[in-house]
Amino acid sequence: MGSSVTHAAAPPPPPPSPSSPPSSVGLAAALPPKQDEKAEPEKVDWLNLPCPIPFEEIQREALMSLKPELFEGLRFDFTKGLNQRFSLSHSVFMGSMEVPSQSSDTLKVPTAHYEFGANFLDPKLMLVGRVLTDGRLNARVKCDLTDNLTMKINAQLTNEPHFSQGMFNFDYKGTDFRSQLQIGNNAFYGGNYIQSVSPHLSLGTEIFWLGHQRKSGIGFAARYNTDNMVATGQVASTGIVALSYVQKVSEKVSLASDFMYNHLTQDVTSSFGYDYILRQCRLRGKIDSNGVFAAFLEERLNMGVNFILSAEVDHRKKDYKFGFGMTVGE
Amino acid sequence: MASKVSPKGKEKAGKGSKASEERSAAKCDKEWSTWAMKKAKVITHYGFIPLIIIIGMNSEPKPQLYQLLSPV
Repeated sequence: MGSSVTHAAAPPPPPPSPSSPPSSVGLAAALPPKQDEKAEPEKVDWLNLPCPIPFEEIQREALMSLKPELFEGLRFDFTKGLNQRFSLSHSVFMGSMEVPSQSSDTLKVPTAHYEFGANFLDPKLMLVGRVLTDGRLNARVKCDLTDNLTMKINAQLTNEPHFSQGMFNFDYKGTDFRSQLQIGNNAFYGGNYIQSVSPHLSLGTEIFWLGHQRKSGIGFAARYNTDNMVATGQVASTGIVALSYVQKVSEKVSLASDFMYNHLTQDVTSSFGYDYILRQCRLRGKIDSNGVFAAFLEERLNMGVNFILSAEVDHRKKDYKFGFGMTVGE
Repeated sequence: MASKVSPKGKEKAGKGSKASEERSAAKCDKEWSTWAMKKAKVITHYGFIPLIIIIGMNSEPKPQLYQLLSPV
């Protein structure tokens, strides 16, 4: 996961970013070209900028630290590798899942399911499939058509009619830019483009069109990162502004904060969290402006055996979620 | 007058039948493509995981068949 924030809900939250395709050419003309970065670290080689992060992963450090997969109930995952590239996974979940509801009350549905999965991971071809006991299939295909062109397919197929979703992505990676074209069901078309304008700064833009609802949107995003910090900002025509800042305080500790404003619903959320990556465990905690506290612990008991604890407490809505689980296998 | 009206009426009828033919051809295409999409969805739904398993079992080094089912 971590990818498309855009395709999460019906109005995709398009991250905003000012477009900047021709800027590197303009800057290359203004500045002395071909300065070797090794000899003088201050001079930047404007013709050899690094390739930027893919557009959908622009906020990945903040998402990894602030949004762990919190769950309620029991979770057990077993991954068995048959050879280096092929593995099968079995996963059992017993607990409550939240169902999105219109009112402010959270609606929890007790569910139990078993999920069987098969993964084939090759450098050029990746196939991941997961099937649940209720017949839902999650399929992901990633195929490198050429060195620079990648095709990704993401599909959720269900037995109920009209609930299935699928998305095709074509990614093209250039020397200092990336572009992506997305085609989804329900006549969804989208594209995004991100360009490095300096060794630390990259700017991107996104545009999407929903055929059936006749909605379209445009967004802009910017990402500034150094070795110790990452700052990102996104603005979208759907009225969403999202900012994030992650600071790596030391090798083991990083702090993250995140701010989201939705102009249409006048909804503001801000959160602050920490991420401790220690030798035997990974602990993530966060506190929200809605008064929600959450923590997620992954403890390595043995080689390949991880124990997981998840907690999320919301005093305002009286919603308390505690979960525990175990992950066996890589 | 009547002679002027009737060719126009015939033209309109001609155009109308062509338009309805085009519309029914488009409808046919749409029905065929919907049928094809439905079949593709069913095939993917049942066949994707077996496809991964077949590709995986044929990759090097070849795993044994019992490894598929045993928990070790």
